Amino acid sequence: MFEGIKAMAQGLGSTFKALGAPRDTIEYPEKRREYSPRFRGKHMLAKDADGHELCVGCGLCEAVCPAHAIRVVAAEAEEGKAVSWTNRYAVDYEVDLIRCIFCGMCEEACPTNAVRLTPFNELAASDRLDMIADKEELLHPPVRK
Amino acid sequence: MIRLTIDGQEVTVPEGTMIVDAAARLGIDVPVYCYHQALGPLGACRMCLVQVEKMPKLVTGCTTAVTEGMVVHTQGEAVEKGRKGVLEFLLINHPLDCPVCDKGGECYLQDYTFEYGPGRGRFQEPKIQKVKNGPINDLVLIDQERCVLCQRCVRFMGEYVGEPHLLLEGRGVETVVTTVEHQPATSQFTGNVIDLCPVGALLSAPYYHKGRPWNIERHSTICPHCPVGCSSLATTRESHIIRMEGRPVPDRDWGWLCDRGRFGYDFGYHPERITDSWVQQKTTSAAQATRDVAEWMQRTLTQYGSGSIGFVLGGHFTAEEAHLLRRFAHDVAHTDHIAMVRDVKGYLPLSLNGTFEDVAQADAVIFVGVDPYEAVPVVHLKLRDRLHHFPQLQVMGVGPRRLTRETMPGQDYLIDAEDEAIFFAKALASRLPNDSRVQALIASIQDYSLPVSDADLEVFGQKLLDAQHLTLLWDGENSDMATVLSVLADVRENPTAVLPTFGPVNWRGYEQAGIDPQYAAVEDLLTKVRNGDIHMLVLWGADLLREFPDRKLAQQALEKADYVVSAQVVPPLDMPYIDALLPVATWGEVEGTYVNMEGRLSIGAAGVQPPGQARPTRSYVVNWARLFRQEWQDDAWDVFDNAEGDVLIRADAAVASEITLTRPATKPADGVWTVIQGAWVVENGLPSEILEPRETEFVGRISPDDAARLQIGAEGGYVQAQTSEGSVLIAVRPDPAIMEHTLWIPRGSRHDWAQHLEGVLTLMRPEEVPSV
Repeated sequence: MFEGIKAMAQGLGSTFKALGAPRDTIEYPEKRREYSPRFRGKHMLAKDADGHELCVGCGLCEAVCPAHAIRVVAAEAEEGKAVSWTNRYAVDYEVDLIRCIFCGMCEEACPTNAVRLTPFNELAASDRLDMIADKEELLHPPVRK
Repeated sequence: MIRLTIDGQEVTVPEGTMIVDAAARLGIDVPVYCYHQALGPLGACRMCLVQVEKMPKLVTGCTTAVTEGMVVHTQGEAVEKGRKGVLEFLLINHPLDCPVCDKGGECYLQDYTFEYGPGRGRFQEPKIQKVKNGPINDLVLIDQERCVLCQRCVRFMGEYVGEPHLLLEGRGVETVVTTVEHQPATSQFTGNVIDLCPVGALLSAPYYHKGRPWNIERHSTICPHCPVGCSSLATTRESHIIRMEGRPVPDRDWGWLCDRGRFGYDFGYHPERITDSWVQQKTTSAAQATRDVAEWMQRTLTQYGSGSIGFVLGGHFTAEEAHLLRRFAHDVAHTDHIAMVRDVKGYLPLSLNGTFEDVAQADAVIFVGVDPYEAVPVVHLKLRDRLHHFPQLQVMGVGPRRLTRETMPGQDYLIDAEDEAIFFAKALASRLPNDSRVQALIASIQDYSLPVSDADLEVFGQKLLDAQHLTLLWDGENSDMATVLSVLADVRENPTAVLPTFGPVNWRGYEQAGIDPQYAAVEDLLTKVRNGDIHMLVLWGADLLREFPDRKLAQQALEKADYVVSAQVVPPLDMPYIDALLPVATWGEVEGTYVNMEGRLSIGAAGVQPPGQARPTRSYVVNWARLFRQEWQDDAWDVFDNAEGDVLIRADAAVASEITLTRPATKPADGVWTVIQGAWVVENGLPSEILEPRETEFVGRISPDDAARLQIGAEGGYVQAQTSEGSVLIAVRPDPAIMEHTLWIPRGSRHDWAQHLEGVLTLMRPEEVPSV
């Protein structure tokens, strides 16, 4: 019996010890964790200072993507209605966030520094289709709270 | 033969071979921009520098012919330094805009820079700005900044095609490739410069910014627009064909395409493309339409018994589909009335059919009624290639219009189409008066006089017999020519080859599938429909009113038939008579075999999905068989069974047993207009939106003298044609190839007026027409 009490005290001892110790979990979503500044989350498409898209639809991100998560369709901009800084732009730019492995190769391959991985990592949806980020969505990156 | 050593390996090549080609035999790749085997050496780009022992400096491998015992090094410090320097210079004014360049990923400038080039340039000064994305014409764009001045395009157009629409302008670093007087290039071979350009300077306008090498698929196929069936590659992306490229076949074909073939691939997405089933004025579901047609077939069969349904094949179907249809007709629809729509009466037996090798070997070429430039453009290029290597090539044209041209100079014998066979027969008779075969040939036309002098006949006859390798191109207009050609091949000692230029494009494939290719077969079938012996007409791709020359018979047959079912890609002219219009899958959507004008089998790949309700022929056939409660089983037929390699096996030529020629009807008096027809690849077959800027409304042609009289400018105009049945407004333009008082119209034209020109009496200006 003495053995039993000793074991229980030992067990409770570690419980009480841990009770006062600093915690690893946080109270999400009230509190959010700090990540490294180089954390790779959801993609965004950047614009230049004039508001022109940096992406020219070259498709290098598509070529380099190991998960085949990116689809780019380029087109020629109408005269006087430039979308990007040159006459070629991406009509469609889709990232399948379910397929994406967030390796950041697209960011690395991008010759115009248009694709960037933001720290935003709160990716959830109730429909698979909602997990395909289209161009409009990528041009307006969500801000992490 | 010459022996030399390249990179330590010995190779034996024929005299005159360039170092780059000798290296290629060993599988050693020497980088090169300006050199192309078809165009010959130039040495403009300096990319192919190699080291030859005992030569003081690096030499260009593409302009240096091999010599006995030569020792060549394509690797090594000196060569690498040379290449690096050349590339650095080439890149000095290059915009380095690969991300927006369509060539990115398939560009030799990228590849060679990556492999041999310097990591970075030392040029700090501002780059020279030139024209970007300027037009060569509506189909080809030029980016002069990206150009490396290899001159392939300029030389191709100038030397190879013989239409120098491109040139170099300016000097030094300011040199640019541009068009003559900055006017759009009008040649029908301009698209080839896109394939030829090793960098991203010449681009396809319809493909502009549409794809990248990693997001497209390339399907090995053939071009479906004319009987040449050029080997090509169809680029598809997301189930759309977005580009056609030439596909060179080693030792046989350079992979040239004409603009019709290169840019006319979009008929599958044409706004007129039929995507819905249409039964008795109403669109319906595919299943319902199939059921309705099956019911009509069953009804016709129960009422009239076997042989009451007629099938006419046309269009661009594969040999396999033709075979399926023939089997369906025989086994399920219980009829042997199956024919193919023909627009001319001639038929060429396979034994006489030559290949393009006969063009490459020919020392004499005769165009019988056909201008290859217009009917089979790539054959014109093959002839140009021959002319390049063999300038003594004798070119002769026999037909109702001039058939030779500036780029294919020769002698024309202006003979009415119905006299062509007689002309050949008489020419032969003038040299071989005692030959029994020739005597039989001219027996019935001995006293028929031709508008040609006896001296001309003798000269022509002598040429026919003297030619070492005679190749004829025949448009099939004069059906007696087949007899004459078989006799000609028989009396000549040297090879004689004939290339038929008539359609449907895959007629030889249909023939292999067991469908009678004779004009008489389809004529007989339609006559039976008209006479009420056949009650239901199934037109598989055939558009009778457009393609069948006897318009009256076609119309009467269409009116008489109880049911007319038509499977089409775009709405036919037969539309008012059709009870059920079925959307059918076509070239690019179904894989199968095509047999071209040389009897060569090629596989056309399926790259895209048929749109809407369009279904493959097979699907219809199997469905109908099921509705007839018949099990459909594939049989063991294969079109390659009858082929040696990829060419159909020729039986020994046999001279036709009946060698008499028909006597043409008496000629109309002078001053009356004659209407002649010819194949023109731009006007035939399937519509294309991309090619619309190239198309002209003024498809009729008259002589320049007549045009001047009718006050029609070079670009064309409208005239009123008085015919025996009334008057019709037609669109014509002047063409020096056309004789006076002759109206040329393209065969199978999409223009409705072209079908109403029987018995043209005269042409006059619209305002001169007397009011009724």
